[in-house]
Amino acid sequence: MAKLRVQFESGEPERVIEFDPARAPFQHDGRPGSILDVLLAHGIHLEHACGGNCACTTCHVVVKKGSERLSESEEAEEDLLDKAPGLTPTSRLGCQAVIEDPDAEIVVWIPRYTINQISGHGG
Amino acid sequence: MAVELDGRLEAVVDHGADTRSLFLGLPVPFDFRPGQFISCRLPVGGEILNRPYSIASSPEETRRLEIVLNLVPGGPGSHYLFGLAVGAAVRFTGPWGSFVLDRAPEAETVFIADGTGIAPIRPMLRRGVATATGRPLRLLAGAAARDRVLYRDELDALAREYPAFRWDHVPSAALADEVRRRWVDGDADRSRHFFVCGVGAIVPAIRDVLRHAGYERRAVQYEKW
Repeated sequence: MAKLRVQFESGEPERVIEFDPARAPFQHDGRPGSILDVLLAHGIHLEHACGGNCACTTCHVVVKKGSERLSESEEAEEDLLDKAPGLTPTSRLGCQAVIEDPDAEIVVWIPRYTINQISGHGG
Repeated sequence: MAVELDGRLEAVVDHGADTRSLFLGLPVPFDFRPGQFISCRLPVGGEILNRPYSIASSPEETRRLEIVLNLVPGGPGSHYLFGLAVGAAVRFTGPWGSFVLDRAPEAETVFIADGTGIAPIRPMLRRGVATATGRPLRLLAGAAARDRVLYRDELDALAREYPAFRWDHVPSAALADEVRRRWVDGDADRSRHFFVCGVGAIVPAIRDVLRHAGYERRAVQYEKW
């Protein structure tokens, strides 16, 4: 079973999810087996304004551990991350980063706010 | 959670059998940048679906949004929206997205819109001509025929009013080849800026044609639905 540990900037208690990547998709938004897919299926809200179609950055997460165990990012994800507020070297879009390895242990950090592109409008 | 807003469906305009504009009246002014989208929260089948729709109207119109959608075969979101009657409420969040144009670039600017991909391009174009620096503005639309290009009368009027702006169309299937012919093989100028929008693989295909030809990455902006 893969393990996804989820930490929140908001201070919510950490969650640990164990799941079988081979059973993806777990719901209908984002790539099957993506961080977004796993979180939503386990009742953890992660904004995904574009529906998980790699067209915004609202599902931005920071991968604290196990980034090498995730699917590689493609050009479209890189282009969007380029514009993401709070970008870090291990930032990913939750809808695109897929956990395929059944032995993976991933730790992700969810920023407090999803920020849209109009200044003064917090999301 | 993102703040939710309630729009009210004020009018429906059909562009064809399966393409429709919805006009949403808003209780409060809504600020956005040309090119952005809203995320509709649609109650379908006992759950809430997130469905993004580009804003086809301009930011200057703050109390009414226009979105354009295709009726997608088997698509629960578009079927829900096509089934709404005038007066219905549509809940949404936004604005979202970084595919935007706040003012015309200091370079020739080319908009490439396939089908309903013209929705976000329309307010970008309007902003582009309003802030034009004298550089050419071009729109290449992907459509089966000229009379299938959305907003064609408005585009014609814009072209009459702003000589720097011209538009035309090619069939969608020929779009990538036409882009290559005009702006890659046509000359060695790689200073242009591009804004590309459409549905599916055509968008990254055009992106790749342009970037691989030497246009700067950030000069090729795109949104793929």
